[in-house]
Amino acid sequence: MAAVFLENVHLTFRVRQQYQITLKEYLLRGMFRASRNPIREIHALRDVGLRLRAGDRFGIIGGNGAGKSTLLKLLAGIYAPTRGTRRVVGRISSLFELSLGFEMEASGRQNILYRGYLQGETPRSMRKKLDEIAEFSELGEFLDTPVRYYSAGMLVRLAFSIATAIEPEILLVDEVLSAGDLSFQEKARKRMREMMSKAQILVVVSHDLDSLRRICDRGIWLDHGQVRAEGPIDQVITAYTSHVEHRRAA
Amino acid sequence: MAAYLASVWGCRYFWLSLVRMDLRNRYRGSMLGIGWSLAHPLAATLVICAVYYRLLQADVTEFVPFLLAGLACWNYLVGVTLSGCQCFLQAEPYIRQHALPLAIYPLRTMLGSTVHLCLALLVVLALTAVLRGLPNPAVLLILVPTIALLMLFGWSVGVLAGFVNTVFRDTHHLLEVSFQILFYLSAVIYPKELLYQNDLGWLAAGNPLVAFQSLIRDPVLHGSLPNGSDIVLAFAVVGVMTAAAIAVVRYGSKHLIHYL
Repeated sequence: MAAVFLENVHLTFRVRQQYQITLKEYLLRGMFRASRNPIREIHALRDVGLRLRAGDRFGIIGGNGAGKSTLLKLLAGIYAPTRGTRRVVGRISSLFELSLGFEMEASGRQNILYRGYLQGETPRSMRKKLDEIAEFSELGEFLDTPVRYYSAGMLVRLAFSIATAIEPEILLVDEVLSAGDLSFQEKARKRMREMMSKAQILVVVSHDLDSLRRICDRGIWLDHGQVRAEGPIDQVITAYTSHVEHRRAA
Repeated sequence: MAAYLASVWGCRYFWLSLVRMDLRNRYRGSMLGIGWSLAHPLAATLVICAVYYRLLQADVTEFVPFLLAGLACWNYLVGVTLSGCQCFLQAEPYIRQHALPLAIYPLRTMLGSTVHLCLALLVVLALTAVLRGLPNPAVLLILVPTIALLMLFGWSVGVLAGFVNTVFRDTHHLLEVSFQILFYLSAVIYPKELLYQNDLGWLAAGNPLVAFQSLIRDPVLHGSLPNGSDIVLAFAVVGVMTAAAIAVVRYGSKHLIHYL
């Protein structure tokens, strides 16, 4: 059974103020003068704890820069905690920046294979899914064209069709609740709902609070990397919106 | 470590498809296709032979296979290192989306270079057979473990070069300049014996780049097993590089994304 545990997780980014450090600066730092490009520490997450078990539908809300996407990437294993523990049981599938990671010189059909393999599929499983993904994307003969000739909308359609063809155990979704033009959106929403219902654990980051209310049963509100509220999604959303309204009024 | 290697193997369809795509993209729309990878050492051999065989008073039938074998090995070593420098930067969109083992990206560049090495070695063997005959075909079997050793070296160097270049972007340029210098110091275009004869033996004795070339040249050109000291040096260097790469993967995997 899938499970996700975070205990007292902190994540700190050590970033340079202006640019990446050069070898010269690294070797000579502090020898003649103080660095003009000092390291700044950004506490992206502070003391975050989570316990998710099979059946959980979990929403993460908060303002821009609150740490929502960072937390999702930490859950996915892309960032390692600076302090604290992350334990995951089950295979993670993530839907983050859909349009990233296309091989522009390869055709749509080849990209379906690459991205399928990236998501843990095998040649055998992809043989079964290839036609279904191609059909869902509605890209027809464009699938045999290099993707560098695709419009942004076509890329999103293709990415969405591939990304949602998986059968996830733990599904992490960052703002990918719809895709494409109007005619494609309804189909995409339906597909998304189907995939979410198949996942044992679902974690969604979104600014669309109504969607979160429909999809999730629990959630957290993050503010500057800290958990401000946790519990049933309705209560968390109410706490968040009243905070936002209070600030707006002030 | 075993679990890490199992996870690398677990996503084999992904990195193998990337290797195939790299090879396809590199020669897409070109006249010779993958033949271009052979055109480079062949053209270099032709030019160097035209000039140096007189200076070195070498027989062309001896010098061409000697030079081509050296260039095949040299181009591989330079290729895995320099393409390794870019491996994580090139894979940034994947690294930002999926927590796959980072060692698959230098593995991708190493496998691409290995395909070119194997093609180049086939040309070396064919030319040697035509020009002077293969002295001892049975000994050529030693090339199999040699290629495996070079692959391990290439993977380790790719990991190290990739991590260092991601943190310090000057690394690629520094290595390019270094290889330019090392090319003339590493007995690629002249026999290493010349160094010993001119009191420069120290340039060859501790130089793993010379040892790697000997692992290929000795069985192909002389029909003999490589020199014991060359084998020891090559294994020692590969061992050290592999240990360093494992350490860097263990420590650096958590931090690499912050430098991308």
